[in-house]
Amino acid sequence: MTGGPILDSYEWPGGHEPLLRFGDGSPRVVLALPLFEEFNRTRAIGVTLLRSLAARGVSGLLPDFPGTGESIVPTAAATLESMRVAYGAVIAAYGPLIAIGMRSGALIDLNAAVTERWHFAPQSGEELLREINRQSAADGTIAGNIVSPSLREEIAAATLNRRARVVRLSTDPRPAHLTIDGAPPWRRVEPDNDPALVARLADDIADWIARCDG
Amino acid sequence: MIPEGKDKIEETVRATLADVLGISADRAAAFAATTPLFGALPELDSMAVAGVLTELEDRLGIVIEDDEVDGELLESFGALVEFAARKALL
Repeated sequence: MTGGPILDSYEWPGGHEPLLRFGDGSPRVVLALPLFEEFNRTRAIGVTLLRSLAARGVSGLLPDFPGTGESIVPTAAATLESMRVAYGAVIAAYGPLIAIGMRSGALIDLNAAVTERWHFAPQSGEELLREINRQSAADGTIAGNIVSPSLREEIAAATLNRRARVVRLSTDPRPAHLTIDGAPPWRRVEPDNDPALVARLADDIADWIARCDG
Repeated sequence: MIPEGKDKIEETVRATLADVLGISADRAAAFAATTPLFGALPELDSMAVAGVLTELEDRLGIVIEDDEVDGELLESFGALVEFAARKALL
């Protein structure tokens, strides 16, 4: 592994957005981080995961979708539909790719032309809506960011693609192909990294990709 | 109420507080029924409260309605455990 990620950009019908590229070879995976506050809490883990995968020979991409991360689209203008369109543009430009969806990030790959899906603790639209409604101030903002009523409506109707390998934490009673021990980083009030958790996730992804390839 | 069930609920509430608030296992182990929560724990601000409630929903398979959340719910560790047990063991 030569070093850190490269900052690049990708084009989608709405413009250009930032994208981080990890590893030396052609990308195999694309990571979608969770939406809203969980994004902030898990970004370090997502970056560490893609570094770890690159070290295991699996190159990857971390795009910022419109209205998230360093995107210039204001959060008030974010729509799930535009995130899905942008996701499709990444696939079209870099594909074939395997989707890695973390929490509500898994909602973005619903109809994407990816070859496989690997979801970590996927969160349904209904569950996400309950979470953000609980976090929202009376003026509809979360930590000062406007979350529009139309985005909330999209989220209420959003579904997960169930054709995915699902990994969950052992504290989560929902169905999974694999459960691992650990505290949920997306729920911790202070963002943190978790190298032990990342190592287990990276091992599972790399092993699973090898099985899919073989 | 099944004693074994309630013990498990209590441990789940304890672990949830520790995991969400970043409290050490030792500190969480010391929580007793009368230990005050909201207003007493500096880590427990309104965003943290949202996280604790949502995490309890996820771990216990329950739904907590807005109108069930009042000052008494988070007054003490015991109050939160009682509430969670009522919802989860029905």
